[in-house]
Amino acid sequence: MSTMDEKVSELLARKQKLKAGGGPKAVEKQHASGKMTARERLDYFFDPGTFVEFDLFARHIGTDYGLDKAELPADGVVTGHGKVAGQDVFAYSEDFTVVAGTYGERHGKKISKTVDMARKMGVPVVGMNDSGGARVTEEMGALSEYGQLFFRHVRTSGVVPQIALILGPVAGGQAYSPALMDFIFMVEKTSYMFIAGPPLVEAVVFTKTTNEELGGPAVHGAVSGVSDLTATDDKDCLDRTKALLSYLPPNCNQQPPRREPGDDPQRPCPELRKIIPAEPRRSYDIHDVIAQIVDNGEFFEIKKEYALNLVVGFARLHGRPVGVVANNPLVKAGCLDINASDKGARFIRFCDAFNIPLINLQDIPGFLIGNEMEHKGIIRHGAKMLFAYAEATVPKITTILRKAYAGGYLAMCSKDLGADFVFSIPTAEVCLMGPEGAVNILFRKELSAAKDPQATRQQRLGEFFDKYVNPYYSAALQHVDDIIDPQDMRSSIIRALEVSLNKQDELPRKKHGNMPL
Amino acid sequence: MAESVTAPMVGKVFEIQCKVGDKVEENQVLLILEAMKMEIPVVAPAAGTVKEIKVKVGETVESDSVLAILE
Repeated sequence: MSTMDEKVSELLARKQKLKAGGGPKAVEKQHASGKMTARERLDYFFDPGTFVEFDLFARHIGTDYGLDKAELPADGVVTGHGKVAGQDVFAYSEDFTVVAGTYGERHGKKISKTVDMARKMGVPVVGMNDSGGARVTEEMGALSEYGQLFFRHVRTSGVVPQIALILGPVAGGQAYSPALMDFIFMVEKTSYMFIAGPPLVEAVVFTKTTNEELGGPAVHGAVSGVSDLTATDDKDCLDRTKALLSYLPPNCNQQPPRREPGDDPQRPCPELRKIIPAEPRRSYDIHDVIAQIVDNGEFFEIKKEYALNLVVGFARLHGRPVGVVANNPLVKAGCLDINASDKGARFIRFCDAFNIPLINLQDIPGFLIGNEMEHKGIIRHGAKMLFAYAEATVPKITTILRKAYAGGYLAMCSKDLGADFVFSIPTAEVCLMGPEGAVNILFRKELSAAKDPQATRQQRLGEFFDKYVNPYYSAALQHVDDIIDPQDMRSSIIRALEVSLNKQDELPRKKHGNMPL
Repeated sequence: MAESVTAPMVGKVFEIQCKVGDKVEENQVLLILEAMKMEIPVVAPAAGTVKEIKVKVGETVESDSVLAILE
């Protein structure tokens, strides 16, 4: 019989051995490729000394091909929970030093358990993905565990925030795990994700390609829209994940955390009078407006490389997290096109799921029109914005900066789509259609008979503008609550936000709506 | 290396703010399109010299069509 002391030493020795992962050589290789190890990432991510691991002793199920004798420490994934700025977070971190972090049956069960625990405890979950894909020797064991994980991501969706970090390869079926979570962050140079890698692509569809060209962060950030953010390296990615978490409640039953604002809620923003051009055709960068309004100019932008005509992201107003949705007139005139509608709707639904109020800044000449948009289904995709805003029960506060035309006006959350407050500034143009189009229709006969059609058109345009295309007309009809000085935008929005905090708005009882997808 | 300046969206050329031979900075406005009742600035994707301008004021352009070439 060994003594307790001896038993404890054996325990410690076993733990130490398992925590060494794939061993010093593999760790060296991981570092040489510009990546941290699975455990280094967790150490860096969590508040010092707070990480608690479970299933360190979980063993792989392999019996064939000599694997019965193989030791695969922790089965290639480290799982547990810890604290981030004092708040609990569950995490799994795939260990590329152990058989390339391949996804075996036990590996999958560990990840699924982490997601289950997060959901049960009402705590966010962060997945640190770095895996060569399915462990082929485990065959159906691996495939089935993909399915088990996907099922859990879906059942957890909207209960707790789920954030996927792509810190290496994520290939094959596993790519759908991040896709079912709320946010995907990638890392320059070291990360890529695709459902089939370059060798398979070449063999099956006869196209030569590379990891980067197929699914690097440049592709997913700017082209496919799969990724939400590109970080410069592992540390930057983990830092930004912590920053994102600072805006989020732990689960759908709690409010997002308020922080000391460090910025005056009454702070006037005189610059806004200059940033927003009075001349209706001039473009400007909406980021400059957002920076003025939000606390300390801090804006955590989501999908900043994708569909630049719509800007979305998190900020704080008097310390309270909000989701900002804003047209950017600098790009595509600020129109909503297909990609912008997808981007916006998904962000709105996330905010609504987690009780984050929506601050909407409108300057939109409409949905983007033309053959290309119609053929690709702008009706189907644009409808997502309408659906998402109308369905959202969080406080919705809209400010009309300039253009608010037609369907675009509704799709950026007008009163009719459930906005609790709508402000406009004096430059707002709210109307069913642009004055040019309206005048052409209303005065077609008069214009064609006129001696000087140009002069007649100008006169009719002026009349139409004065009568309908101004905020006083919309305010008279109660579509706008108040017309404000642009320099009071911050204080007005904050007052509206504060009075909306106990808003009650229930959807009719149903299984779920049928969002246009 | 030649760099193409392309149209960000379908539109009409409203104003050309550069000429062949101009040295331009990255993000400098080269021309302005008109679309959706707005003026859409088109900027230089990189610093360089304007080698060729392929459009005239008033001309309509498709999305992604080449407006100018930088060198």
